[in-house]
Amino acid sequence: MISRVAETCFWLFRQLERAESTARLLQVNRAFILDINLPEIERWYPLVIVAGERKRFGKLFAEAARQDEELIQAYLTWHDDNPVSIKSALFWARENARTIREVISLDTWEAINSLWHWLSSGPGKRMYKTDRDKFYRHLITSINAIHGIALNTQSHEAPFYFMQLGMLLERAGQTARTLDFKYHSIGPTKLGMESPIEIAQWLALLRSCSAQDAYLKKAKTGISGPAIFEFLVKDDHFPRSVLYCLDSASRIMVKLRTTDRTEPADPTKSMIMLNKMVTEIRGTTTQESLEKSIHKELTSIVDSTMDICSQLHKDYFDPEIPETFSELTGTKAGSRHQRW
Amino acid sequence: MAATKQNLLRPLLSGYSPLKGTYDEYFKDQNSPRAGLKGLTRLLDDLGEHEFRLRQQLADEAFMLGGITFSVYSDDRGVEKIMPFDLIPRAVSGKEWQKCERGLIQRIQALNMFLKDIYHEQKILKDEVVPEFLIKQSSGYLKEACGIMPPGGVYVHVAGIDLIRGPDGNFVVLEDNLRTPSGVSYVLENRAIMKRVFPRIFARAKIKNVEDYPHWLRNALTELSPVDASETRAVVLTPGPYNSAYFEHSFLARRMGCELVQGSDLFVRDNKVYVKTTYGPQRVHVIYRRIDDAYLDPEVFNKDSLLGVPGIYRAYREGNVTLANALGNGVADDKAVYPYVPDMIRYYLSEEPIISQVETYLCHREKDRKYVLENLKDLVVKEVDASGGYGMLIGPRSTKAEIQKFARQIEKNPRGYIAQPLVELSTCPTWTDNGTAPRRVDLRPYIISGQHTRVLPGGLTRVALAQDSYVVNSSQGGGTKDTWILEDS
Repeated sequence: MISRVAETCFWLFRQLERAESTARLLQVNRAFILDINLPEIERWYPLVIVAGERKRFGKLFAEAARQDEELIQAYLTWHDDNPVSIKSALFWARENARTIREVISLDTWEAINSLWHWLSSGPGKRMYKTDRDKFYRHLITSINAIHGIALNTQSHEAPFYFMQLGMLLERAGQTARTLDFKYHSIGPTKLGMESPIEIAQWLALLRSCSAQDAYLKKAKTGISGPAIFEFLVKDDHFPRSVLYCLDSASRIMVKLRTTDRTEPADPTKSMIMLNKMVTEIRGTTTQESLEKSIHKELTSIVDSTMDICSQLHKDYFDPEIPETFSELTGTKAGSRHQRW
Repeated sequence: MAATKQNLLRPLLSGYSPLKGTYDEYFKDQNSPRAGLKGLTRLLDDLGEHEFRLRQQLADEAFMLGGITFSVYSDDRGVEKIMPFDLIPRAVSGKEWQKCERGLIQRIQALNMFLKDIYHEQKILKDEVVPEFLIKQSSGYLKEACGIMPPGGVYVHVAGIDLIRGPDGNFVVLEDNLRTPSGVSYVLENRAIMKRVFPRIFARAKIKNVEDYPHWLRNALTELSPVDASETRAVVLTPGPYNSAYFEHSFLARRMGCELVQGSDLFVRDNKVYVKTTYGPQRVHVIYRRIDDAYLDPEVFNKDSLLGVPGIYRAYREGNVTLANALGNGVADDKAVYPYVPDMIRYYLSEEPIISQVETYLCHREKDRKYVLENLKDLVVKEVDASGGYGMLIGPRSTKAEIQKFARQIEKNPRGYIAQPLVELSTCPTWTDNGTAPRRVDLRPYIISGQHTRVLPGGLTRVALAQDSYVVNSSQGGGTKDTWILEDS
């Protein structure tokens, strides 16, 4: 497929994933701060930090704004100046979808377009004012519906694969970032010694990743930092664990090697990097990570994910054109992409 | 406006009164619909205003959800508008349409022969049927196109010819669009939405189908490919998502089942065009381009163009890629060349024009200019290379200052202007805030040429939504209607 279109597919789902995870963080935090008594500064401002928006926020607003819950929620939901606000992310998701409308299914397009119109015109704004919990729930459900619609109405080939890659890599990074921040602020609690506040915080973290039920079913040892780390990073079955996302991404890269080709292409650099990362995470025990420093481990996951994204760019989205090339290298002439 | 109970039940057309001195598409005079439209008029009447409003709302929502919208980018993000769509269709009888069809095919054949002649032997200039200086000074004339024979000798793959009806009810040609005419996606989308909101009316009226357009276009392009049809990769080339016609480019690519590319997706190596894909460069053989000549190749034309593809001109010259439409078509739809089209038809085809056109004064002719300058208040003046309803003076609707401004411009650059009498465009019943009222319309049929030339039945009816307005362009408060070519029973 056309390189630019592949990149647009990738970003389309990446932006959707961002919007969803921000909506979830905001929704969970609203309930969470009702349960416990935190100093003002620790109630909402941490979400700005997780979003990586500390610097811009500091430039735009005075220090008192860090305690302004309405402002922070509006900043993360609506602000055009904030490139990762829900509105910005959905705007770009929808722009990307519009740009490649001929590639995605009509149903996928209509679902994205109608969510954007809902958000950017009256109904979304009204619901935000009257029932904020329902507002975030609507966003989360709608974005999940888009995933389902794409899954069921699009051919599972190159464009779909790149969409999935965008979603999975964004999700892996997001889980690692959220975990890193919470881990840092709560500290490595020991089993049997958690305070009620700590337990509430861990549960909120799990909910931010939609992982509470899945974790509780699995956890044999109760709620502790290391156990949650193990679950959110290394669980093989939970769709938001770092390992699950990276492993799925790696399988998609394998499929891409054979898409539209008679013989598999040489493994790309990004695929090699991804496989290496999966092997490393699998090969490290939680005990080793604890000794090394959880923070280092998570930072390294976030950084490596970003490196893989830039390598994808070089491998697929903007590859250098070689001096010599033969037409139709290894591709099936007259295949799906030679539709005429 | 609060609708009274009486309004809710009011039939749609019975209170309608056509304008005096103007041809109305539905009514001969008040209360007497034209032959062939009686059935349709009754169906619309039976619907009633209330029901009609509901369906108009339904249609608007469908356009919005489908993203068949214009973005207003000056207003940053999110402000989008749908092209105003009026649900009352414009209907043309099959018999009238047959004549149009023959006339349009004749006109396109002559214009295509003219282009082939101009870029090769220039016989029509040597025989002094068309003045040479007019051609050589045309901004659409490209010396780079001289001597290049496009595959099959086809220059005008897609044409949009604007037709209007004067008070006598005859269709006449107002303007030729032979470069990148737009709007056909609205013809297809309007029809799809009409079918959704008026299924019952559709089932009863016999209307010619427009669905085949993308298929025709695809075939025409494939027929003219430099390589075998089975090996041909055809693409639609767009200036990008911020172009106001991007929806149409994307629509056509989707419906033709081919890829939509931007200039930066393509590159030229060894005079061949390639597209960058995730599995390496791939050859491109046919390009349906929606980028003007001037921006197509920065190596040859506008050096600053970021939209184009460096080297694409060389690939075209060598016959390695088919461009649709061909390079240099602008010389044939120059408004100052338009008055000569009837002579072209006689010259190349030895036939009389089937559709006539509007009387035109060429300001570079001294006698014409004198007449124009003396009668500006009664005339319509147009810049020869402007479009979209811009660069235009409608004398009877302009202030003294505006008229004086145009007079100065004409004296400064006579070759740059033509003038025509103001034609009383026909009207069609159109929904307004105060019920149905007559509004002026034109018609842009689309003509596709591959190895054969075909006319899409109907075309885009554009309507000037403001009372007394003559300007139908979407950029200036125009809307569209579905155009029904009725099958004669």
